[in-house]
Amino acid sequence: MPRKFFFRLMRSGPLGAMALYVASASPLHAARPAASSIPSFSAEQAQSGADLYQRACAMCHGADLSGNFQTPSLKGRLVASWAGIPLSRLTGYIQRAMPLMAPGTLSPEDATALVAFLMRENGASPAKTALPVTEKRQASLKFPALAIQPDTSPSK
Amino acid sequence: MTNRNRNIGRRHLVAGASASSLVGALAGSRLLHAQTPPVSPAQAFTPQKPRIRLQPFDLRADQITDIKVCLRPFRPMGPRFDVERVGNKLVFHNYGHGGSGWSLSWGSASLVVEKVSTTLQRKVAVIGCGIIGLTTALTAQRAGFDVTIYTKDLLPRTRSVRANGSWTPDSRISLTAPAGPGFADLWEKMARISWATYRDYLGLPGNPVEFIEHFVLSDRPFNTPHEEGPDGRTGDYASTGMPQHGTEFARYSDRIKDIVPTAEELHPSENPFAAPYAKRNTLMLYNFASYGHLLMSEFFQAGGHVVIREFHDPSELTSLPEKVIINCPGYAARDWWNDKSLIPVRGQTAWLPPRPDLPYGLHYQGASAVSKTDGLMVQAYDLNNEGEMGSIGNSFEHPDRSESERAIKVLADLFARSPLSEG
Repeated sequence: MPRKFFFRLMRSGPLGAMALYVASASPLHAARPAASSIPSFSAEQAQSGADLYQRACAMCHGADLSGNFQTPSLKGRLVASWAGIPLSRLTGYIQRAMPLMAPGTLSPEDATALVAFLMRENGASPAKTALPVTEKRQASLKFPALAIQPDTSPSK
Repeated sequence: MTNRNRNIGRRHLVAGASASSLVGALAGSRLLHAQTPPVSPAQAFTPQKPRIRLQPFDLRADQITDIKVCLRPFRPMGPRFDVERVGNKLVFHNYGHGGSGWSLSWGSASLVVEKVSTTLQRKVAVIGCGIIGLTTALTAQRAGFDVTIYTKDLLPRTRSVRANGSWTPDSRISLTAPAGPGFADLWEKMARISWATYRDYLGLPGNPVEFIEHFVLSDRPFNTPHEEGPDGRTGDYASTGMPQHGTEFARYSDRIKDIVPTAEELHPSENPFAAPYAKRNTLMLYNFASYGHLLMSEFFQAGGHVVIREFHDPSELTSLPEKVIINCPGYAARDWWNDKSLIPVRGQTAWLPPRPDLPYGLHYQGASAVSKTDGLMVQAYDLNNEGEMGSIGNSFEHPDRSESERAIKVLADLFARSPLSEG
């Protein structure tokens, strides 16, 4: 491809709104309270990451982040793989490796917004302070251990 | 289907009943349908030829059960085998086998484990559980090591299982110039050890490894040189950092032709296909399901351990209890070890329902179909006639159904024209 095709996708951003709804309506999201150890990120940042995700990542990882047999899910096991790891390593990995067909095309701001979005989709709540973008400041923040909590909704 | 069968001559299977039974024995439960035609008085003095029954595959896009995409980890200088120190750990690299990982796995593992043995350690960690990691782990066990595999995924969810799984020991393994003459010797050693090891997996239940009949068909005589389509590329790897022409790719298979069965050209009267030129050979296959389960079972039976873990930075290796580590990440080395020398080469296979009753394969016009125990595998290996340059640098690891449908159509059209499809 597909680089050309990829960049066309990046520009046009189809599917966004509909798929975003699917992602936010996930039960995983509702079941998880925010913990104090969660690095602070802003709602705007997470939303910017959500928009970018739909254009740059959803083709392989799925609009609802669930991946498929071949592509890793970005929920569940993502927490196990990254909990306790400095955020700088995650943003570094995203910039270096992703998207697989066009690595190196995402800016530090893009990667940071995606990390905010991933934390939100795995159950963290946004706060007032945005995630810092610099590698140095991200090195002291760790990806949170966002364990699923018991479902307390009346409609279970 | 019966009225669509056609018997073809098999002069190369030798004459007589003993040859037929030999073929039957070699093929095991997947009998090649060897049979001797009835003798009429007119043929009384004609030597009898054993024949196989060749039925067409049911090649239709609506039969696709799966499409798998892999990225071959190609390094112009050949696989990485150097040794590196990370903190207090010694890291032995074993990755970057291009399109030859399955074929060279045992030989590559053997060379690395020889080096690891000099550390006098008893415990070793293996990073990655693709075909290189798994055969490396088994080879280390056989050399007396206690082995733990650290991996984020096990077979069948590793990239290896998205390959085509056949004997292709010099498929995009290196470029002749950057690999240098010394690598040719190393390659030969790996290929011979692998080939010999695979003999130990033949004839087992479930056919983890097997030989099948394979036809290479062409519209042009085989002795005409391959011409790549004009692509406007200039220069070479030395001047651009990327291969620019198929002739830059190394070919070493002549070095082992004393042990690998030679392809033979079929006489037109023996050619069951509507392509003017045909060659027949035997092809070694790795059947992922049975072979993968067998290797994992062997690893556990020998006391091996698996730890599911994802690494993000080489410095994380310092937390492992083992002092010696063999690094077998395949294409993931590009991100995990920041190895930019790895060039992705995309490959895609489509899988149709298995046809164990039709154990053969064919190549024609850049499309191939090969009957494996876990499915009829269709690959568009070179529909655009790009030769070795096809998909170089392409890291789009996402299925492209139209590509598979094109390959299916090429072969379905061939079968529709071929006499073996007639009544």
